[in-house]
Amino acid sequence: MPHALLIKFPGTNCDAETARALEAAGFTAEVLPVALLDESALDRTQLVVFSGGFSYGDYVMSGRIAQLITKNKLGDRLRKFVDDGGYALGICNGFQILAQMDLLPKASLIHNASGRFMCRWVPLKKNGSKVSPFLSALPEQFELPVAHAEGRVVTMAGDAAGYVKSGLAPLLYGADVNGSTEGIAGLQDETGRVFGLMPHPERFLFKADHYDPDWSGAEQGWGYYFFKGAFEAMTA
Amino acid sequence: MMPTTRSFEITGLFDKESDCHKLLYAPVSHPWTYRETVVYNVTFEGEAGALEAFVGRVLVDPISQAMQDGSGSAFPAAAFVLEYGMKGGALDLEKETILNYYRALPEPGFNIQKLVLRRRVYVFGEGADSAPFVKDVCNPAIHTWEVKQQAAA
Repeated sequence: MPHALLIKFPGTNCDAETARALEAAGFTAEVLPVALLDESALDRTQLVVFSGGFSYGDYVMSGRIAQLITKNKLGDRLRKFVDDGGYALGICNGFQILAQMDLLPKASLIHNASGRFMCRWVPLKKNGSKVSPFLSALPEQFELPVAHAEGRVVTMAGDAAGYVKSGLAPLLYGADVNGSTEGIAGLQDETGRVFGLMPHPERFLFKADHYDPDWSGAEQGWGYYFFKGAFEAMTA
Repeated sequence: MMPTTRSFEITGLFDKESDCHKLLYAPVSHPWTYRETVVYNVTFEGEAGALEAFVGRVLVDPISQAMQDGSGSAFPAAAFVLEYGMKGGALDLEKETILNYYRALPEPGFNIQKLVLRRRVYVFGEGADSAPFVKDVCNPAIHTWEVKQQAAA
């Protein structure tokens, strides 16, 4: 049974929900405070998860201090972990952390174009032929909730279009949600094992989580299939 | 060695002039716009290059932000600049977060003696009046501020 390690920073607040979602999909899950994190922690896991929240109060910019402290503690060990076949996932604030760790295509997450925090459900669509394990059990179009102030993906000029074309941006918004360049909602690395996204799959685990009490799109919430896809890829 | 103070102003490369009503509680009848920046004033001893590297690594995002000398004005065309920050005795959590990270570095190459964070609101538009911005942006219980008038472009 694959094991997931959820790194918890001061201000991370989605770790319990994410652990629950991972366990529902078949993983064993462990929440590890960053104070206890060292390189050996990666020896006992197949998936490293950076959950949502407001790590270190989002001071300086969201995810920055968490990324710096993780880098100080792990050095290149996380890179080696991925190179050796490990998986890494960043959700919302975790995506903001992961985006700064050179594990995903170069991009930044900045303030929404509206300048405001947003909390709503958004339409999403899969993009490209390079299907992420995390998206493999999901339909072409689905929806998930978002809750962020800094979720607008920006890149160096032209990079975002390249990511969409190459499939490194496997998840797009179905509408202009926060001003993200090319509507990018999620990014993956070349292997597909490192994935970051702004929407919260862990918040749509059950049908009852949906805003429409009569929703009947699937047996479970779409978030369940997000984690289940990764589980199946890791146990195949 | 005498301590030196350096000022770094961080601007967002993707930011644009925004409607000033995003900052104000009451509407004004003028099409004023604004931009915001953050200024880090660092008093330090040691290697200036090491400090600049620290600022570049910790305080600036290479894709979305640019850093410049904070002793000048990032937007000379602004009608005025409202600069504000936490009072000396007030808890500035962003400052403490930065200093906590700095203190954990084994050999930073410099010694920060004082760090002061200020936010600047550059307001654009003919006849722009600073009074509503001071009233709605600054909190006299925790902030100090100053308004710098600039020559019209």
